[in-house]
Amino acid sequence: MILNMEALLKRIAHCVEFGKINEASPYPPDMKGQPGADELTRQAIDKGADPDDVLKKGLVVGMEKIGIKFRENKVFVPQVLMSAKAMSIAMEHLKPFFQSGDVQRKGVFVIGTVAGDLHDIGKNLVSMMVEGSGYEVVDLGTDVSSQKFIDAVKGHPGCFVGLSALLTTTMVNMEKIVNDIKTALPDTKILIGGAPVSEEFKEKISADFYSPDPQGAVDYLNSVVA
Amino acid sequence: MNSRERVLAALNHQQPDRIPVDFGATPVTGIHVLAIENLRKYFGLEERPVRVVEPYQMLGEIDDELMDVLGVDVIGLCPSNNMFGIKNHGEWKEFKTFWGQTVLVPKDFNTTTDDHGNLLIHPEGDTSAAASAKMPKASFFFDALIRQEPIDDSKLNVEDNLEEFTPISDEDLDYWKNEIHRVKNTGKAIIANMGGTAFGDIALVPGLNLKDPKGIRDIAEWYMSIIMRPDYVKELFEKQSEVAIGNLTKFYATVGNQIDAIFICGTDFGTQDSQFCGIDTLREMYLPYYKKLNDWIHKHTTWKTFKHSCGAIEPFLQSFIDAGFDIINPVQINANGMDPQHLKDTYGDRIAFWGGGVDTQKVLAFGTPDDVKKQVFSECEILSKKGGFVFNTVHNIQANVPTENMIAMLDTLRNYNQRQFT
Repeated sequence: MILNMEALLKRIAHCVEFGKINEASPYPPDMKGQPGADELTRQAIDKGADPDDVLKKGLVVGMEKIGIKFRENKVFVPQVLMSAKAMSIAMEHLKPFFQSGDVQRKGVFVIGTVAGDLHDIGKNLVSMMVEGSGYEVVDLGTDVSSQKFIDAVKGHPGCFVGLSALLTTTMVNMEKIVNDIKTALPDTKILIGGAPVSEEFKEKISADFYSPDPQGAVDYLNSVVA
Repeated sequence: MNSRERVLAALNHQQPDRIPVDFGATPVTGIHVLAIENLRKYFGLEERPVRVVEPYQMLGEIDDELMDVLGVDVIGLCPSNNMFGIKNHGEWKEFKTFWGQTVLVPKDFNTTTDDHGNLLIHPEGDTSAAASAKMPKASFFFDALIRQEPIDDSKLNVEDNLEEFTPISDEDLDYWKNEIHRVKNTGKAIIANMGGTAFGDIALVPGLNLKDPKGIRDIAEWYMSIIMRPDYVKELFEKQSEVAIGNLTKFYATVGNQIDAIFICGTDFGTQDSQFCGIDTLREMYLPYYKKLNDWIHKHTTWKTFKHSCGAIEPFLQSFIDAGFDIINPVQINANGMDPQHLKDTYGDRIAFWGGGVDTQKVLAFGTPDDVKKQVFSECEILSKKGGFVFNTVHNIQANVPTENMIAMLDTLRNYNQRQFT
């Protein structure tokens, strides 16, 4: 199938939205045997597409669509994970352009699950959505201390920070971490999320933003960098 | 009514003489070992190290003495081995936790530490095997360590994900026989946690008790498999259900109708605001297997079947009823769509709510005693009408719950029972 560039980028966005990773992937069943985000991204770049267009008109569009559907409970965790996998594999083809500076990302997002907490599904979903909307993501993993967050922020001046917690026993560690980061680096914008976390809790611990869903975090970041 | 009659009345949607109470009968209705120590101190019970009866979540033993004080009506029977494949009875030893509490753990609860001083636990207590779970220093319990080999779809074999689902042994049946003998004359209701009947429980997928888990063991990979590898998952559930029916048959031959309920599955289908999959996926991928087990149990026994699922599962409740479940837990009343009045009005005559007595994410952990009292009273008012309610918190009581809030909950429950039912 030969597609013009605009159609190709739309097709990449479609693959990301519906989680079509590559030709070998059996999912989704109605796209079985067709090229996926992997092959189409490679094809676009080989045909001379502007990598910035591949990112913004392909991957970002697909991830935004799945993010909105997820927020509206029209799709669920497995579908978002598939989309993120398709996005990640396509992103590999763009990495050289990030390194060369041909493609500028919108900003840097440092994320981690707070000290004491090893749960990372929610953190990973946010991380994937943010990466898929054009940010560089520095994922510090789970059980992350204040010092580790501070070191990462120092290494990426102007970055945003995302803190995740699943447990009532560990969400309290968010307060200390927010306080420690804000004391060391007062201008840092900190987003928080996780099942027990709320807007009220965000106010209490003086974080900058709370969202119950990943797309909310993306919208917030976009509103700040706009 | 004695405790057993009270629980059975409630589960049969008849009005009991008071609201039956569970604390500690299942791994999802328990109390953290630290909160137990605090309760024991408050009630002036003997100060001694508390036994950890479920080490993954560090749930403590609610012994006869504490059971009486808490007004517990249900006894839970645990399997011979815990989630790490460690024998959970017999000899015990002292263990000092990160939070400075001395507790009792099984003899083979063998741990090591990583480079950062976090606690690692090993399957079957064998420290030569790779650790299967970690307790960070700033945490109060364990979580799984993922041991996932790269997946080659062409080589995936369902048997690899079946390793932990094995036929029940004669030794285990002897264990169950003794356990039933131990509790059958207490007058309490009995719920058994036989094990092996959960389909795709994400807490179990990593294979915590296996030294070398194979197949799909990574959490994200598992969630994707539900839609990416549906045939694999269905074949796994089919084979698992065959093993489970074989085990239920032997288990029933051993314990008969001396147990009143059985814990079937702890697979969480709810997030805070939504579900982990669509209802079509639930009905296609899970329901046939749930129904198979529930149908067998209802055909051959008098047991009630218990389903646990956290989160916003209101859209799934009718499906759980269709699958034959009698009991739903933990009734996460603060999740999206889980308004208790709506749940009671819509489903209350067809499924019993075991839990939902007080929210643990905000009210019990961070509210005032007055907040707790108000909510416990309100939940009892709504959920207890015409039976169909066993009081428990929404999931386990965690380490950080203030003792005064636990007391406020217990006082309100006791007062409610005295005022409404005497």
